[in-house]
Amino acid sequence: MSGVAAEPATIAAPTLSHRPWWRGKPVQVALVVAGMWLAYRALRLEYPWPSELAWNSLQFKLDEFQVWLIEQRSAEDKSIVFALFDGFRVFVDNLVIWLEDALFWLTWPGATALGTLVVLRFGGRRAAAITLTAFATFALTGLWEASMQTLALMLAAVSLSLLVGIPLGIAVGRSRTVARILTPVLDAAQIVPAFAYLMPVVILFSVGPAAAVVATMVYAIPPSVRITALGLRGVPLNTVEAAVSLGSTTRQTLTKVQLPLARRMLLLGVNQTILFALSMVVIAGLIGGGGLGAVVNSGLSSTPALALLAGLVIVVMAIALDRSTEAIAERTDPARHHLDADGRRRARLASLGVVATVAVVVAAARLLGVSRVYPETAGVQERAVTAQEWLLARIQSVLDYIQDPTSWVFSITEPIGIFILQQLLLPLQQFLVEAPWFTTLAGLTLVALVVSGIRPAVTTFVMLGAIGVTGVWALAMDTLSQVLVATLIAVVIGIGLGIAASESATVSKGLRPVNDVLQTLPQLVYIIPFIYLMPVSIVPGIVAGVLYAFPVVVRLVERGLDDVAPQSVEAAGAFGATRRQVLAKVKIPLAGDAIMLGVNQGIIMVLAVVVIGGLVGSGGLGYEVAQGLVRGYFGQGVIASFAILALGITLDRVTQGTRKARKEGLG
Amino acid sequence: MLDRLDRGRLRLAGLGLVLATGLVLVAGAVAGPRAAACGDVVLNENSWVGSTANVYVLKNVLETKLKCKVKVLNITEGQPAFQAMADGKIDVVLEDWQNLPGTPYEKAKSVVSLGTNGITGVIGWYIPAYLVKQYPAMKTWRGIKGKESVFKSPESGSQGMFLGGDPSYVQKDRALIKGLGLDLKHVVAGAEPAQVARWTQLYKQKKPVLFYWYDPQYLNAQYQVVQVQLPKRTASCKDDEKKGGDAKQYACAYPSYRLDKLVSKEFLASGSPALKVIRAFRWTSRDQNFVANLISGKKQSKDKAAAAWVNANGKTVNGWVK
Repeated sequence: MSGVAAEPATIAAPTLSHRPWWRGKPVQVALVVAGMWLAYRALRLEYPWPSELAWNSLQFKLDEFQVWLIEQRSAEDKSIVFALFDGFRVFVDNLVIWLEDALFWLTWPGATALGTLVVLRFGGRRAAAITLTAFATFALTGLWEASMQTLALMLAAVSLSLLVGIPLGIAVGRSRTVARILTPVLDAAQIVPAFAYLMPVVILFSVGPAAAVVATMVYAIPPSVRITALGLRGVPLNTVEAAVSLGSTTRQTLTKVQLPLARRMLLLGVNQTILFALSMVVIAGLIGGGGLGAVVNSGLSSTPALALLAGLVIVVMAIALDRSTEAIAERTDPARHHLDADGRRRARLASLGVVATVAVVVAAARLLGVSRVYPETAGVQERAVTAQEWLLARIQSVLDYIQDPTSWVFSITEPIGIFILQQLLLPLQQFLVEAPWFTTLAGLTLVALVVSGIRPAVTTFVMLGAIGVTGVWALAMDTLSQVLVATLIAVVIGIGLGIAASESATVSKGLRPVNDVLQTLPQLVYIIPFIYLMPVSIVPGIVAGVLYAFPVVVRLVERGLDDVAPQSVEAAGAFGATRRQVLAKVKIPLAGDAIMLGVNQGIIMVLAVVVIGGLVGSGGLGYEVAQGLVRGYFGQGVIASFAILALGITLDRVTQGTRKARKEGLG
Repeated sequence: MLDRLDRGRLRLAGLGLVLATGLVLVAGAVAGPRAAACGDVVLNENSWVGSTANVYVLKNVLETKLKCKVKVLNITEGQPAFQAMADGKIDVVLEDWQNLPGTPYEKAKSVVSLGTNGITGVIGWYIPAYLVKQYPAMKTWRGIKGKESVFKSPESGSQGMFLGGDPSYVQKDRALIKGLGLDLKHVVAGAEPAQVARWTQLYKQKKPVLFYWYDPQYLNAQYQVVQVQLPKRTASCKDDEKKGGDAKQYACAYPSYRLDKLVSKEFLASGSPALKVIRAFRWTSRDQNFVANLISGKKQSKDKAAAAWVNANGKTVNGWVK
């Protein structure tokens, strides 16, 4: 958001505050909240948002719009716009189907050989071993066919996302105007729940691979844009100036200086795009993405163990894609590897060897009549040659234990859940929902004013007002209470672990697979078993939000701290600063931008799973959005989604505002 | 820069490569034949197990008796599935809980109903059977009135908890509670698997619970649940609480639903031999629950469970195929 657009942090010496403690911000905020609390105690439930101030027909207008869109779509003489959409649809459908057919045509030994050897050639042994393990997992879980379908879909979605995202990121990184225009669009793309735009996507692109790819791209493009832009802006100004003064053209500066120097950030962008895309597999499955997403969706209510297994396969695929692209990028880094003629020749021979081996494997497999998918015999007997049955039985026994209310685990988790609900969440929810609307509106605006200044306060007022006018005040306050709690927990965990990871290589290494799992394992497959352990509403939804959001905070904080220029750290060390002082006085202030991007992404990620919360008992806006899709209440879904977006913008501007305010206070 | 020897080696490798590619192409041409006497049929499987049972039984019949090539999609129910049918991506939906009427797809006749699949869907308020033993009066809503606090839960305070249903199902429970003047708090449990988690956990502890539920549902074979009688339906009865208005108008039982088979306009015009079977396809909620229980309860594969039912019910199946 605005974090991307801001200039690199300027460091100012910390100045002593001259304000007496009783005029400090915490006290002022506490006073405002106390005022709101008194109003709540006195006038509870007496002033819900007045219906005279609500625009009730908006929902029906939106419904009419959707009907109009459907009619236009099926009209005999389609407009040029639909023809364009059709063209894109045919292109993407064919691309995915072609990739899928190619993977099947190779046969399973061929596909495995191709994947593993290509990664071996360009990415090295370790990455190749991970790739081989992934292919073995697809085969042994008996989910080969679904995995190949998802792999084809993701290859298409990720490459198209990068194709759009990186150029946009370069544009955002180089021009402040572009940044200002695109930032809200990126916010919306990440916060507005996919459930709200699935139906329009289906109307425009029908169901199938194209619709699935489009829905995935909407969500996966923003991180690649943001991180590319951040990387470009992180290139030291004097290096760019040096290049320009030596006569580089703009294009030369970009391709020879800025992009190579931003390489690390660009790679993080690719990595996040892959993970974001894979986190959409299940939602894409709702509109014809097929593959593992469809297995998860159909398994959730009938065979939860299978849904969980398919979810884990998605994680394995994400890790393999991520590690192999990373290894390939590292090994092919021109800055590191200057090949002489001999080396180049050997490399070329190795490439030929890879191609020849794959060709031989494929030819042999096809001539021997090896089937296109693993296992060989399709149909009723198919599970015999995989470990699927064994794995499902193991997972099922874990699920059975979790679902048993007489287990000792349950006797601990249930009271904890009830305590958190009754002592923390319900009071906060009631406070925000039941207090008079005008004191809440005024109070939250005042808090924004105190914390970050006049502009964020105006934003807060306008956004909350819009929520009220669209008629979802109570639902939005309900969701706000949950989002506040989840974000706070996610940011605290994220910053803490991010600092730990940047200080210790072991922590960093250990956290990485944890992050990958949490970002790509479909939430529903683990949150629904969790409900059996903590059968109270709201808590599971908050857990889903925290678990989904904190990995991104960790990653951005860690990367930001690692990227602090080593000479600054050395200089501080030379002055005799302790490790802790270096961290607190040098690294964290210098990494301010990346840390704030982390906080900001944390908020966005929490909001992105509000709908998942709605599906596991959080109610509020998320439930409305989910209901809107299937029951045909398009207007309801859109309004609730925009309320989620409004909450997101408010939280973002207020948190970004604190940084600006702090800077001004310091400077 | 390469010396002659290496050049030769490269050329040799290149030749090998061309040969290998040729070999692969030849192998590709000898791929297996594709049998498709009746052509392709695309069925849509929805998220509840009953729908899975319908789809896989019909798939088995079409594949074994008519040699059709059946493809199963998993498009989410309601509007997205209808749009997919209008676009010709889905041919058949086997269980629609009256979602089609009133949509633009019905008006444009791009999705057409072929009538009932034989099952009547029931929606209502349910309580566990052990609770009825303890409070026999709770068989009707009047018996619950005044005793709401029996259903107290951590989130309902002093009120009783009513556990709401999946967001994609027809619901009017908030209006019902208000209209009947019950001291219950409507708590949304989320999607069906989440709601099941809530009430089965209470059931296993033999605690009281009152929840939105429906039949046919295979869990009804595993858990003994009883429907609570709500006021009889009248002519002025309303069912979609989103439409608003006086809560009293909603204070009546849910209607029963005829579960319809739907086909796309395109498929209807295709004259596929499968169409005859789909027209004739009709079974009972007992049949459906049997298959659903094999899949969900006994953890059999979908194809295997369907085959088991088809083999045991030759008579019914012959009725569809003849």
